[in-house]
Amino acid sequence: MIVIHAIWDHLQSGELHLWAESSSPMGSTAQRHGKQTERQHPFTLPYESLKEAMSELAGSLLVKSASPSTISLLLPSTARGPLSSPELIFEKEPADLNATGLRPWKIVTLALDPDSALDFLLALPNYAPHGTAFGSSLHFWTEAARFAFELIVRQSYMPALEETRQGGVSIYRAAWQAVLVGEDAERVSLLLKAMPPVCWAFLPESEMKPSMLQNVLLSFLNRTLDAFVRESLSSASLIPARPGRSTRSQKVSLPEQWLQALSSEDPVLVAPPAELQRFSATLQGWLDQIRPVETDAAFRTCFRLDAPGEDNGKSSDWRISYQLQANDDRSLLVPAEMVWKERSDTLTFLKRKFENPQERLLADLGKATRLFPTIEESLKTARPVGLKLSTEQAYTFLRESAPLLEQSGFGVLVPPWWQKPSARLGAKLKVKSQADSETSSGLLGLRNLVDYDWTIAIGDTELSTEEFENLVSLKVPLIQVRGQWVELRPEEVEAAIAFFQKKHGNGHMSLGDALRIGLGQEASELGLPVIDIEGDGWIRELLDRLTGNTKIDPIKTPSNFHGKLRPYQLKGVSWLAFLKQFGFGACLADDMGLGKTIELISLLLHDRDKPQNASKIGPALLICPMSIVGNWHKELQRFSPSLNVMVHHGHERLSGEAFEQEAIRHDIVITTYSLALRDKEHLSHLEWEYVVVDEAQNIKNDAAKQTQAIKKLNARHKIALTGTPVENRLSELWSIMEFLNPGYLGSGTDFRKNFAIPIERYRDSNRAESLKRLVQPFVLRRLKTDKTIIADLPDKMEMKVFCNLTQEQASLYEAVVQEMLAKIEESEGIERKGLVLSTLLKLKQVCNHPTQFVADGSALPGRSGKLARLEEMLEEALEEGDKALIFTQFAEMGTLLRQHLQETLGREVFFLHGGTPKKQRDIMVQRFQEDRRGAPLFILSLKAGGVGLNLTAANHVFHFDRWWNPAVENQATDRAFRIGQKKNVQVHKFVCIGTLEERIDQMIERKKELAESIVGSGENWLTEMSTAQLKELFALSREAVGE
Amino acid sequence: MGRWRDRDYWDYYEPSIPRRVEGGIKTRSERGEIGETWWSKRWIKVLESFSMGTRLTRGRSYARQGQVVSIDVEPGIVKAKVQGSQPRPYNVKIRLEPLTDEDWDKVTEAMASQAIFAAKLLAGEMPQNIEEAFASVDISLFPTALSELHTDCSCPDWANPCKHIAAVYYLLAERFDEDPFLIFKLRGRTKEQIIAVLREKRAATSPMGDISSSADAVSAEEENLLSLEEHLDTFWRADESLESFTVNLSAPTIDKAVLKRLGNAPFTVGNTNIVSLLAKAYDKVDAAVSQKMAEGA
Repeated sequence: MIVIHAIWDHLQSGELHLWAESSSPMGSTAQRHGKQTERQHPFTLPYESLKEAMSELAGSLLVKSASPSTISLLLPSTARGPLSSPELIFEKEPADLNATGLRPWKIVTLALDPDSALDFLLALPNYAPHGTAFGSSLHFWTEAARFAFELIVRQSYMPALEETRQGGVSIYRAAWQAVLVGEDAERVSLLLKAMPPVCWAFLPESEMKPSMLQNVLLSFLNRTLDAFVRESLSSASLIPARPGRSTRSQKVSLPEQWLQALSSEDPVLVAPPAELQRFSATLQGWLDQIRPVETDAAFRTCFRLDAPGEDNGKSSDWRISYQLQANDDRSLLVPAEMVWKERSDTLTFLKRKFENPQERLLADLGKATRLFPTIEESLKTARPVGLKLSTEQAYTFLRESAPLLEQSGFGVLVPPWWQKPSARLGAKLKVKSQADSETSSGLLGLRNLVDYDWTIAIGDTELSTEEFENLVSLKVPLIQVRGQWVELRPEEVEAAIAFFQKKHGNGHMSLGDALRIGLGQEASELGLPVIDIEGDGWIRELLDRLTGNTKIDPIKTPSNFHGKLRPYQLKGVSWLAFLKQFGFGACLADDMGLGKTIELISLLLHDRDKPQNASKIGPALLICPMSIVGNWHKELQRFSPSLNVMVHHGHERLSGEAFEQEAIRHDIVITTYSLALRDKEHLSHLEWEYVVVDEAQNIKNDAAKQTQAIKKLNARHKIALTGTPVENRLSELWSIMEFLNPGYLGSGTDFRKNFAIPIERYRDSNRAESLKRLVQPFVLRRLKTDKTIIADLPDKMEMKVFCNLTQEQASLYEAVVQEMLAKIEESEGIERKGLVLSTLLKLKQVCNHPTQFVADGSALPGRSGKLARLEEMLEEALEEGDKALIFTQFAEMGTLLRQHLQETLGREVFFLHGGTPKKQRDIMVQRFQEDRRGAPLFILSLKAGGVGLNLTAANHVFHFDRWWNPAVENQATDRAFRIGQKKNVQVHKFVCIGTLEERIDQMIERKKELAESIVGSGENWLTEMSTAQLKELFALSREAVGE
Repeated sequence: MGRWRDRDYWDYYEPSIPRRVEGGIKTRSERGEIGETWWSKRWIKVLESFSMGTRLTRGRSYARQGQVVSIDVEPGIVKAKVQGSQPRPYNVKIRLEPLTDEDWDKVTEAMASQAIFAAKLLAGEMPQNIEEAFASVDISLFPTALSELHTDCSCPDWANPCKHIAAVYYLLAERFDEDPFLIFKLRGRTKEQIIAVLREKRAATSPMGDISSSADAVSAEEENLLSLEEHLDTFWRADESLESFTVNLSAPTIDKAVLKRLGNAPFTVGNTNIVSLLAKAYDKVDAAVSQKMAEGA
């Protein structure tokens, strides 16, 4: 694997240096290069491989302008060499984990100019592809690039003239610079605080100063921004064409040169030094006006606008009053009247001192006249305290001047109603059910047509044509409607007029469209903001519940449910039942371990609780990965024995009519994703009551045949279950929603354009907010860290994870049983005991993985049900940001798991076994506990890791194979579940269905109390069983195989 | 020779070609009017009202060609050197009668009656209606008659003002663009002096000291060096706050707010203020942004 890092070097030329560490070092290591103090970094990618890797990542076009380069970095090192970044995973655990100091290393880099650097960083995928990881420095500069791009989008940049001195001569360069005021200045500080130290490891030690770090960041923002603006202007001239002007005879004036230099590749201005200096001084004087009024002063001037009557009801005009405002306590305001009364140079107000208040107020008013010229009138008196405004002037102040004044560092106080959506003209969508569809049991869905009607409204107040015309005829931008001030934007008034003229606005649309417009607050075709969606009758009920305004009616725990539903689970079932009632697809996306399985089971039971329904309900089709077919089956048997379950998989599965007839007789049919495609013919002949996809991320690829086959299934209701945070993976979210509620999120292309790209690439929080509103009614996601959930959860939850064997495992298992049983039959005494124990051992190995049993080092993927399930569950746990312990009693399995998991999950995995030296053990424990980004997975052999250690950073404990000794297992579990644990701990005990694992597990469960005493001493009690009992114990039942 | 020829008939058609000056002071404007701001225009208007005929145009082209070697503005007097056709540059002096203390007192009294004057001066701008303050006490800020201007040139031309004086006069206009308070200096007071007097007039108490800008107060402190060694544990780690960093890609609430805050620039190109020309840049960039955001969709 490789880890990519980025260094912005502003000292040399302003370039982004990309470099990569590699876990498989190429070429010779630690070559000596000239000086002994600076050696070649031993495990970084050489230039060609680096370039190739970067092209794969961001497209070859983007790295075209790249050039090979080197930098020297001070890196944490030991005597042996530089340490790797924590993201780099070696196949073997590195022996040294702690640095002894810093040493300079020479590193080959791929250098990008500012323009390409911005493009590259913005084009980076959010998630590193397999085999690659993004270092924190790359992560940091990507965020900085997004910030730079935001500044460009928001027009927060200005032209400038930069002076640098070279050899005693001043060089003047035209440049575009970021304007960083107010909140943006705070965001710079935030970034600066977040900058990983590696980002400044290129600086000479004499330059490592706080101000220099700021320069590094500002230089990046300014240079990338400058490059983007310059590039945008390359095809256009800012200078007006002037006919009859010969370019040869006349020299280009400096202002003209400056404009040219701002839009072309050459930024340097050429003129005699004195002229340049004078030009620069004048230009600077002008540009300095952009600087905010001193923000570090104790107080500033503040403009307060009051609407007529708002000013204690005295005035019938709009009024601005001048005040001084304390910078550290914005609520402390001194009216100008008091300022003018003060005769000394210090004003004391509420125990605060204001120095030179008159001068300050005057200077600020002088500056403010440029931004709000109307002020000038008021300054024709000796002691101005404010001014009166017409409604139009007040509107200009609110729309234009107030934001400009604020950006310039002045205080502005505007009435509270300003910019409130309730004080805006907008369109309101009213939705009514169509007469013929109004049936109480109506199965509606989002495609159902509803009547709609648009009305113009101001906040909650709807306007009739007449009322609206009356308002418009006033021809003022601010009006009072029923005592409430409202902004009438000219362009919106025009849109509203057009709306009434066309008389358009009613008709019918699908419920889905209505929701999309109403919830997404999309700018409607009317050109007016949609301020509300309103329904009548059941639609109102529906809307209120969908948007969470009204609670969904809770259902009772179904009568046939064997177990107890926690309060949040009952809520989940109620929610599923509610969406079902209206024919909407639902995505239940609760965190792993919260019980999505039993929520779905409860829903099926709930449907059957109504006596009139019971006979009519058709079977549900559950599609899940092969690795959890068995688990579903077990859970259904355990919690709802009344449901008839049919498992559709394996070679002997039914097809055609036989399948249909059998399926209809069952309540639920379980099948796998691959069979959903292979058997799509048989599956599509039935009308399923539900099609449920578990681990719904399996249909994330919409183009896949499997996804298409599943979407085509004939379902009355659709449900998706997933434990991964869908909101972070938008293409996945879209595909799942497309399955659940087709068309609701628009076409894939539109969705990418409107949501995926703005949100994923540019981190657009507005779009993200809008998408969240759209999706929220159909996705229920509870986190185990939610306060209400925590209250419902026990501190420790133990769960059995039932896995199937693969065909290969089953064959091996049978062979071992046959061979060993024959031997056991012929032996007795000590020998027999030994044989029984070794059979147990062999069978456990087979259940774990064929490779462990055969010990041939063959490849792991696809050969073990347990491993497949472990991978899936770990992936979910990692997505949720959790850490996990994995216990096995076999050191060789631990080694296999470590390699495999590191490779497939791309995260560092520790492994502690009997042979781990104490020093390394301590380092691993410390890093696991303390390093937030360190290895999130810790494999422990039961013997080495079962006692003593404190590993409370983990909140998942996996028992990959079993000791069948609850005391030993509990002791292991207590590595995480002990004092210091702040989360709920989930314990997952793996059991292979239909094997000795399941049978022993049942025996222990059946007589738990007994077990404590019997099994207390390990597995010896098993050796006492008769051969017939052993036969029964070892036998492989048919349900074991999951293929 | 020059002396004689300067006096002859050809004088009207400028027979002698002035010597070229390396690094002379040129006007920024290449054609059209000289002077960007109202006060420099006001200054030129005075000159142009003197019916100088062709000497005015020639003075302007002198100013454009860079014949003026140096300009020094001192209280009440401007001294300049202008290169003519002779080897040695001519000495030009323009004196503007300074106002008497009494006049200044009247003027500042008038200025104190309206906050706008102090406000604008403190903000570094020339108050637009400054002449009103002067006119209200029957005093003129700009010279109104030739008699108020005492000009002198060492050239042999019999006319005054000559083209050399005119050239300096034009260049002064541009100096006024850059520093409007030069006119006060010529009238015998600096901006600071005026502000100080206004302050005194506001508060009858003892005059205050200068406002010390807090920016000046911060001395260039020696920064402590950072030690990378101290960051060994967090060397590769970005602070958690980075994960909460979000961006907002919505268009600005006010289009080209930066330019609006800057206001008109003291420069034009082809009779257009450069602030309008810069506006085009923002539009172009917006177009490039939309294109970029649509990419890959």
